[in-house]
Amino acid sequence: MTWLRNVLVDLADDSPQVDLAERTIAAHHRRRRTVISYLAAAMVVVVSLGVTAAVRLLPDGPQEAASVGDLPARGAGPLSHAYKTFCKPVSGKAPAGCRDGGWRVVTRSGKTYHVPEALPSLAPGRTGLRDSPLAISRDGWKIAYYSAKEGTFQVRDLASGQKTTAATKVPKTQLGSISRLMLSDDGRFVAFSKVPDFKDPALIVDMRDGNVRELPNRWVPIGLSQDGATITLAEYSPRSRLRTISHLWSSSSKGDTTSVILPVDYRFSPLAPDGKTVAVIEDRSTAEKPCRHGNLALMDTLTGEKRKTTVISGLPSDVSQISLRTWLSGEKVTALTMSVRCRPASEVPDDEPAVIDPPYQTMTAYAVNVRTGKARKLATYRAQDFFGIVMPGPPGAL
Amino acid sequence: MDRNDSFREFVAGHQQALMRTAYLLTGDAHQAEDLLQSVLLKVLGRWSRLSRVEHPEAYARKALVNQHISWRQRRVRSEFPTAEPPDRLYSSEDSTVVRLVMLRALMRLPPRQRAVIVLRYYEDRTERETAELMNCSIGTVKSQAHYALARLRELAPELAPKLADIEAEEAYR
Repeated sequence: MTWLRNVLVDLADDSPQVDLAERTIAAHHRRRRTVISYLAAAMVVVVSLGVTAAVRLLPDGPQEAASVGDLPARGAGPLSHAYKTFCKPVSGKAPAGCRDGGWRVVTRSGKTYHVPEALPSLAPGRTGLRDSPLAISRDGWKIAYYSAKEGTFQVRDLASGQKTTAATKVPKTQLGSISRLMLSDDGRFVAFSKVPDFKDPALIVDMRDGNVRELPNRWVPIGLSQDGATITLAEYSPRSRLRTISHLWSSSSKGDTTSVILPVDYRFSPLAPDGKTVAVIEDRSTAEKPCRHGNLALMDTLTGEKRKTTVISGLPSDVSQISLRTWLSGEKVTALTMSVRCRPASEVPDDEPAVIDPPYQTMTAYAVNVRTGKARKLATYRAQDFFGIVMPGPPGAL
Repeated sequence: MDRNDSFREFVAGHQQALMRTAYLLTGDAHQAEDLLQSVLLKVLGRWSRLSRVEHPEAYARKALVNQHISWRQRRVRSEFPTAEPPDRLYSSEDSTVVRLVMLRALMRLPPRQRAVIVLRYYEDRTERETAELMNCSIGTVKSQAHYALARLRELAPELAPKLADIEAEEAYR
């Protein structure tokens, strides 16, 4: 008995050291969020196609071109967004020419390209997720991604085609199950963070001088000062917090940190152009009332103090989820929205199988004035979830 | 503490023990992750109810064993370890070799027999506990354990004497 148990204990010592909590929660949320009322979805498609026909100025409707080529070596225009493609959605069709786990970028003029250099977000053989992040600079002219060939992050100037590769390699195993990438406006700095937060650190890389500074993992990088010396980080789970680290590159210290723990949960926008404010929406979701959210507010990143609360007006009544993205000016922030039916936990059958690839769904972006709360429609997109679509500028924190 | 926080706490406290069992059941790191992930998704789906019971890990463990059995019954037998024991004389006391031989043999057992071995001899469960976890009778646990040990002796003849000792001990338990 003891001998057999010892052998089995020995064998079990080879079991993988993996934290499945975040991955499970993310998969569960994807499943819950993507239970669409199909009738409503069909209506949204019909309406958006109608809008496409009527409003030619908007990059509306199907975003994939008839045939999608690879990103040209140079001469591509500025980007409106990028999205990730998984090719076996549980319902509906994958985009034409789908490459499993791959990134596509879409220019403001509507041209769509694959980014073959970016590592796909799937382990070989679809044996698991391995998130491979991508970021777009605020002006849309540069992208950052994890280069499969170089084994680290790379920044690419779309006009000139110039590529800059980080001096330090980053093992694929550090990419985690949900990762975020931020590219500074000038393309010089790339910040990376992920969950689960094992002992490996998050990083900010100076692509020009080859320096690397470690950051705490789990925190989403949401803003960087023009000189690259001060970074703003947000954490939305398990508790909403904001953190500012200054003097990042000082050789004599590890930087000065200011952290603030918030009393309720928020979803955060990227850092506003003033460098000290974020827009937030309170997350009031519960198991039985998912997708509940509060009003839009402005918050001081150093103190956590709410400065102004505004009711958003002009969104359709069925909008259930909002992700705050790119700042369009000092007063207008992008609100990316989805109109999906969020089922209470008690309505989800216990034996409902997990959905790995959710269906593609329509997302609509609005420009929201943070002073007045008025929303104006900008464009519609198709993606599988908020994690699978990137817009110019730093990411927000869901 | 919200639903996700209490779930995170649960996972932090139990996932490594569950992962070790999942690894012994599947014999493969990726399959063990898949198995445990699917079980944790079930657990999270029922968390509002499970978080109120005294031992949610008991539900998780039972789901793990039964998910393994139902998966294995549907899947082709494709995951045998490819590494062979060294082609030389070796001692059955050599722990690395014993581990390799045992893993190969364990992976060749049918899923129920493998589960019985893991629950009885790794987790040190009683026959009653094992029966409850596997949704079967105590008699079935006894017979499955007997067949499993006999099969292991065939599959790993170099370990047969030690495995026979175990069955002899069992008779006196």
